[in-house]
Formats: sequence, C-alpha cells, structure tokens
Amino acid sequence: MFLTNKTEAWFFWVFFPLALLAPLFLEQNEFYVSKITTVVILAIFVMSLDYLIGRCGMVTLGHSMFYGLGGYLFVMLAPEYETVNFWVYTFYICVIAAAIALIVGVVVLRTSGIYMIMITLAIAQMCFYFFSDSIHWGGNDGLFIYIKPETSIFGLSFFDLDNVTHFYYFCLLSLFNCLVFFRMVLRSRFGRVMDAIRENPQRTTALGYNIFLFRLASYAMASALGAYAGYLFALQYGYVNPSMLSWQLSGTALVMSILGGMGTIYGAIMGTLVYEGLHYSLEHLTEHWLLLMGIFIIALVMLFKSGIAGFLESLLEKRS
Amino acid sequence: MLSKAVPYPEIHQPKACIQRIECCSNWLLVQFKTPFNGETNDLTQSRIMNNNKSILRRLATVVAITSIGISSLVQSAVQEPVKVGIMMPFSGVYAALGDAGRNGLKLALEEHAAFLHGRTIEYIELDTEARPERAPEQASSLLSQQKADFVIGPVHSGVAMGMLKVLSNQKPIMIIPNAGANAATGPLCAPNVFRTSFSAWQPSYPMGDVALKSGYKKVVTMSWNYGMGQESLDAFRESFTKGGGQVVKEILVPFPKTEFQSYITDIAAMKPDAVFVFFAGGGAVKFVKDYDAMGLKGKIPLLGSGFLTEGTLAAQGAAAEGIVTGLHYADSLDNPANIAFRQLYQQQFGKEADIYGVQGYDAGLLIAQALNATNGNTADQGALIKAMESAVIDSPRGKFHFSRSHNPIQNIYLRTVENGVNKVTGLAAEALEDPARGCKL
Amino acid sequence: MDLAIFLVQLLNGLQYGLLLFLIASGLTLVFGVMGILNLAHGSMYMVGAYLAWYFFQGTESFLFSAVISAVIALMLGVLIERTLICRMYKRNHLDQVLLTIGMIFVFNALQSLLWGNDPLGVDVPDALSGSLHLTGVVEYPVYRIFVALFCVAIAAALYFVINRTRLGMLIRAGESNREMVECLGVDISRLYTIVFGAGVMLATIAGVVAAPMASIVPGMGEHVLISCFVVVVIGGMGSIKGALVGALLVGVVDTFASVVVPDVASMIVYILMAVILLIKPQGLFSN
Repeated sequence: MFLTNKTEAWFFWVFFPLALLAPLFLEQNEFYVSKITTVVILAIFVMSLDYLIGRCGMVTLGHSMFYGLGGYLFVMLAPEYETVNFWVYTFYICVIAAAIALIVGVVVLRTSGIYMIMITLAIAQMCFYFFSDSIHWGGNDGLFIYIKPETSIFGLSFFDLDNVTHFYYFCLLSLFNCLVFFRMVLRSRFGRVMDAIRENPQRTTALGYNIFLFRLASYAMASALGAYAGYLFALQYGYVNPSMLSWQLSGTALVMSILGGMGTIYGAIMGTLVYEGLHYSLEHLTEHWLLLMGIFIIALVMLFKSGIAGFLESLLEKRS
Repeated sequence: MLSKAVPYPEIHQPKACIQRIECCSNWLLVQFKTPFNGETNDLTQSRIMNNNKSILRRLATVVAITSIGISSLVQSAVQEPVKVGIMMPFSGVYAALGDAGRNGLKLALEEHAAFLHGRTIEYIELDTEARPERAPEQASSLLSQQKADFVIGPVHSGVAMGMLKVLSNQKPIMIIPNAGANAATGPLCAPNVFRTSFSAWQPSYPMGDVALKSGYKKVVTMSWNYGMGQESLDAFRESFTKGGGQVVKEILVPFPKTEFQSYITDIAAMKPDAVFVFFAGGGAVKFVKDYDAMGLKGKIPLLGSGFLTEGTLAAQGAAAEGIVTGLHYADSLDNPANIAFRQLYQQQFGKEADIYGVQGYDAGLLIAQALNATNGNTADQGALIKAMESAVIDSPRGKFHFSRSHNPIQNIYLRTVENGVNKVTGLAAEALEDPARGCKL
Repeated sequence: MDLAIFLVQLLNGLQYGLLLFLIASGLTLVFGVMGILNLAHGSMYMVGAYLAWYFFQGTESFLFSAVISAVIALMLGVLIERTLICRMYKRNHLDQVLLTIGMIFVFNALQSLLWGNDPLGVDVPDALSGSLHLTGVVEYPVYRIFVALFCVAIAAALYFVINRTRLGMLIRAGESNREMVECLGVDISRLYTIVFGAGVMLATIAGVVAAPMASIVPGMGEHVLISCFVVVVIGGMGSIKGALVGALLVGVVDTFASVVVPDVASMIVYILMAVILLIKPQGLFSN
C-alpha cells in the first residue's frame, strides 16, 4: 500500500467510503452535494500547499495566485460560446501554470523563510491587482463562464459536468489521485531528496544534488495542482472573481494546512473538512461566528502541537 | 417509506407536517395488520364479526387519516412561513451597510404583517463577508437547501454577480437592496431579479448637468478603481461632456486604498473648476477629511454621488459642510412616509436611518405588497413577478415603481450638507429611469 | 509638477512613511527579539483607533484618551503574552501564524460587538487644528506635521532605548543569542513580556494618533498589516533602522507613483519589495 502509517490508513478507510456514500444521503438536497464538492476542491488546493510547506519547507502566502489563475486561464483561453474539451484545457492550464511557476520560482527560490512568504505574497498581489484593475477581464466584479466543457475522451463521455453528483465524484476522484500522486512522489527517489533538502540543505548539496532544481520542480508541480483546483472551482459555479487570488484565501488555506497537520498530506483533507465544517456550522449558529471561530482556532493551536493529524497519530501510533 | 404515499409531493411541506402524516400512516399500518394477525389465531365463528369490525375500523381510520392529512395540508399551505434569505455582509468593511439593510427589511415586514395573509416570515441570514468567491455557494444554499421564496442581497457588486450566476431565472425572487452594478439590471437582467436601490448610472448622471449649471467647465473625477466607481464616473462624464464640459483627469485609486493625500495635492496642482467623486463608507470619511485638511474645501467645490455623505456625516464632522451630492434619498425629505419611517427606525434601533436602511425597507415593502396582491401565495412565481412589476412603492424616498428591467424609476435629489444634515436643495432629475443598456426584458 | 508641488508630495510621502514606521516598529521589534511573527499586529492598530474614539466620546480630551489607550494597550499586550504567546516560543513560526490569525478573528468580532460597524471619526484636537499655507490652494494641516514629528520622536526614543540603556542592551543581546542571555542570569521571560507589551503599545499608539486623520472602520487592521509587512521585509526583519528606511521608502514611492504612474500604482510597493528582495534576499538591513 502507499499509505505510510496506521493513522493515515485509518483515515483513508473512514474518509473515502464515507465520501463515496455521501451523495446517497444528501441526494434530495443538491446544495449539500455542491457544498462538499467545494470542500473537496479546496482540499486539493490545500494538499498542494501542504506539500510545498510541510514537505519542501517552502512557505508561500501566494499560492492562491495559482488557484485564481486556474480559473482565469480557462476564461482567457476558451472561446466564450463554444463547447471545449475538458481534458485539453486541463492540460493547457496545468502546463501554463507550471510554466509560470517555473519563472516565478526562479525569483522566489532565491529567498527563504519569512522573506519567501513576503515575496510570494508580493507576486500574488501583483497578479491580483492585474485582474482586479483590468476592465477587459471583468475587474473587481469578476466574469461568468457560460459554457461547461464536455468531458469525452476519443468520443467516449463518462460523466457530465453539469450533473452535480457526477461533478462531485469527479472531484473526489481527483482528490484521491492527488493523494496517491503525492504519496508516490514522496516515496520515490525524488521525494527522498526533497525530505533531505528540508532537513538539511547544505548536506544535500554536498551529496551532489542541485537542490535549486529539485525545489523548482516541486514548486511547479504543486502550483499546477493548485491551478487545477482553481479550474475545478471556476467550473463548479461558472464564475471567476479576483478574490480567488486574494491573500486572504492563501491565508485561509495555510490555516487549514496547519490545522490538519503540516506535511502529512492527508492532514490537508482533515484540516479543510474541520475548518469548512466549523465555518459552516458557526455561521448558521450566530452572527458573531468570527468570535467562536477565533477562539476555536486558538484553542486548537494550544492543544494540538502538530495539527489534528499529529494528535491522531499520537493516539494511534503509540499503541502499535 | 410510506411518506411517499402522501399526496401532492410537489408541495414543499414543513417537517412537522410530514412527521405527523408519517406517524398517522404508521398507525394505519398497525390497524391494517392487527386484524389479520388476530384472524389466524381466532376461531372461524368470530371471523365475520371481526371482519366487519375491521372493515368499519378501517373505514373510520381512513376517513380520520385523510381528514387529518388534508386539513394539515391545507393548513400548511396557509401557515408555512415565507422564507426570506438575507445575504449581506455582517462582518468586515461593509458590515454597517449590511446591518442597516437588514434592519430596514425587517422593519417593513413587521409593519406590514397584515399584508402577509396570516403567513409568518422565516429569515435565513448568511454573512457574505463581502467575499465574491463565496457568493455562488451561499446563493445555492438559499436556492436548493433552504428553498427560499425571496433572496435579499447583497451590498457588494462582486457578490451580486456571483449571486446572479446562480439565481437568475430560478425559483426565488432576488431583490438587490444596494449593489449598484449597472449589469444587474442591464445585460444580466432577469425576470426574477429586482432592485430597490439604484443603478450606478442613476445618482451620477444628473450630476453632470448640475455641474454645468453651476458654471463648471473643467472637472476632475475620482473614485476607487472598481466597477461601481468606474460606472459612476462614466455616467457623470456622459452627461457632463454632452453639455460641453471637459473631464480634465480621471483618477482611479486602487481599492481599498485610503491614502488620498497625494491625489488631492495633484488635484490642487491642476486647479480644476470642481471635483466629482464616488466614495462610500470608510473611504468617504477619509476622503472628505483629507480634502478639508489639505485646504481644498471652499476653494475647489466638491461634488459627489450621494454615498459620499450617507451614513458617514457623524464621522466626517465639519469637514463635510457644503458638499453637494445627488442621491435618490435624503434624510431631510419632507414626506409623511419618510418622517414616519425615520421615527420608527430611531425607536427600534436607536440610531438614525440612512440610505441603506431605506433600501432594505423598500425591499421589505416590495415583498409585502407582492404577497398582498397574491393573497399570500408564493407558489406562483409568475403572479408574484407580475405583482411586483406593477407595484408602486410608497418609499421614504417618495413613491416609485419599477422599469422594464426591474430597476426603480426614481427622483434624484440634489443635497447640500448643512449643519451635519443632507439638506435637499432641489431635484437633480425627476423620475429618472436607468437606460438599462443590454437588457432584453 | 513644479517644485512647490513636488515638495508638498515629498512631505505627503514622508508623513505617510513615518506613520507606517510607527506601526511597523512594534512588529519588527517583536520579531527581532522574540522571533514571534505577530499577524494580529494590525488588529492592535485598529484597537488603538477604536479606543481613542471611545475615550474621546466620554472625555472630549484627546491627550487623556491617548494616554489611557496606551496604558490599556500595554496591559493587553502583557496579558496576551502571559496567556498565549509565552507558550509559543518553542513552536515553529507557522503555529504562531495560526494563533495570531485566530486572534485577528477574535479582535474583529469584539470590535463589532463592542463598538458596532458604523464608520467613526475623531476630531483633531483644538490646539493642533490649524493649517499652514504652503502654495497655491494647498494647505498643510498642523496635526499631520505634528504626527510626523511625533513619529520621529518615537524613532529617536527607540534608538536611544536600544542603544543607550541597559534594557536596550538586553534586547540586543536577546536578538543575537537567546541562550547566552539566559545563562548570564537574565530573566528572559520578563524581557519578552516587556518587549511584547511595548510592541503592542507602539501599534496602539499609532492607531491613536492616526484616528483623527483616518476613518475608523472594521477591517482597518488587515489592510495596514500587509503594508507593515512590506515595510518590515524591505528593511530586514528585526531591524528598527531597516523599518524606518523601509517605511520612508514605501511612503515616498507610493505617493509619487500614485500621481506619476497611476496605472501601476496598485502594484508599485510590491514591485519595490520584489526588486529589493531580488538584490538583497534578506532585506536592506538584515543582521
């Protein structure tokens, strides 16, 4: 199996079956299916951030740039009133996002720590203002996507993006693939080197690895996935807005990642679920939900030293 | 489950009602079963009697149940609350506007409870945080989770776009109580979307003529660089240049930056005849204070879209004196509806009403009138829309009705700030209708 | 742009920069000495402005409300350090980020609960309400010049405390080697409490002096937070001198850019920061 420890296995076997069954319980209410779809898409985004922060030691506050770009690239590339192929554009968007990440990465990787946080923020803010100020791309009010892409491969169509349940399962499959993909990357030679770089860059350099290239590759990979998540999000409701690129979104994703347990990859899913679940329930509970949310976050930091995943691991792994 | 057997499944029933019917039908099931179970044990003698009894019992039960069922259905059709979803910002920069709009809405619906034909109102309040990327999700919650009859919101134009994407041509009737994006009653107009506030074009367009009449030839315009601001400046420019005026410079400040000093110094260097601005809320406070502090007040007249001095006068203090603005409302309007409204608002919420409260209040009036016209029936959307299209709202801003694109046809008042109050000095435009460019309704 | 207007713009830029310095100084001090990344720093600025408004309503005396706000801020800072921050020294930066984001939420909610959401304003104190005639129609308000001078005074005071007093010596020592200071028998936790309290107080004072010229609105803290971080990063995290230079640079560049190149005005400070970090990846005055 690709799972690393008991906790992850436990989580895996609880989460995915439940997620698979979820639409059956929620079928009569389209909204719930849409809501969990959004959470799943966010989880993909947070997972890519989690890999960057927790596994590569590259803390970024500009990851939302790629999330927003995923949506905007589709609007910019696709003709407005023609049906296009989903896979083709998935490919375009991921490749372009990775290319942008390669360029940005060259700049970003010169710095580290807090300076890296700030330079990623700076670049993301520039991108944010580019879309927010441009009348052509909808400015502050955002743009609609009128046509949903069709999803056939060689003429065979397996699912329909317009169908809420289909779309949910597709997003869930994407999340699953991401998890497996990151696990495979981390178990590969490449992943071992990344771990080594995080632990001790000097020694890794001394071993003859070009750590710059390894980091750059990781950055491009995670950014492409972030863009993919943004692309899915834009397709879900057919709406893009510059607020998808805002630093607040990067900050929220960062909170989810830390909450879940940094660097655990599967923790990103838990972090997203807990944060979004809390947000949803508190918001419906009281107008002053911010207060409760804040107190809850503070309490979580105080109690759990390394996120929810860390807490669960300390419970489950000891006994074995 | 047996609940499937309940008639009229298309009617959305409240939970309590469904439970009651389920409960009854379970009991019915027991009633049906017991005689047959007893039958196998009983001797043949009592069989006929038992059978008779059971038939009678069954009949009685069926009658009882159907009558309960029907009566509860009829009742539910009358008493099921009208669901009003509110999507406004209750936290963050726009929170004050969201609060005021909600206050006004609830005030109107309480005041006109008699119009609701016995139906109660259930509010579902969602905090948009003025975050457009969350708007479609929240709108979809009101649409398919809550099955709201009316959706009131939002304040922020970006959020409005996100909501329109989900709610256009759907079941709930969407009433926009603030967001002024021209598009909402322009290219994106829809039968079920109404607006009780304004289009960005409306308060600014007449100000071009006002500037011309005051003898200004060269004007600098200024606003935040976002949709609402740009549209306001464009509307001003449209009428101002048509009459022979010249916009010397258009300054667009990155949103939400409030460091205005350098821009104001720049204006001072250009020495235009007047300045026209669009700012609202905290930005309006800061701009007016900076304009005064840099010594331009009294030397270069300041004109504006009325939001410059709405809900902000207390914070602006003396710096706002003498500013001339155009808006579809003024606190000091001397009509009975306004006086009564302001008094009621003051009583209920302990503070002065502002334009955002009025717009929310009118959204409430619109709902009340529509329900009154349809005898409290929300099932027929077509009838509701028809009622709303022909409604005349007796608003604190004066009576108004809706244009073909569902935007108010309303007066724009010319106001001057005197002693901390927006004093009406005349009409900038009478019964002004938004051109609704691109609307196919 | 003639010379007179140029000078007025320069003054605008310097004044804005000095205010930024006042807000950012606390942030860089706390990071430099304690290694704590306090994202709730902007919230303290907001708290300062609201406190100034609140006490000004009751007393009508700006000086009194400024003093009492600063005292409350100091107590608040000490309280937060003793209850929350002190558990964070051994944890990594990201846990601190999470904690302080939680604090931002709490402060925003409290602000809404305690003081409502309407935009508020404080009048300029009478003694400083005049203005100087500069050129053409341009006047310059005395209060803003006072604020600029006040910020310079604070900068001088900070310089003096850090370079000339025993406390400053400990602060400098704590910056360069925490363990060594502890070994020398200094109660480092008390030093930390003092520094954190001072950092919070600086932000709050900035909020107080900015109150008469700003609009006091919900969310004012987050907006200023980003500018603050830009300033601190340009100058080099932890360096007071860097914060001063960074703040003046941001203030002046932002002011001129908004008039000269309005199309890129929204991005200019970020471009500035990116360029500086490219040349000096640790900021201008990093240790």
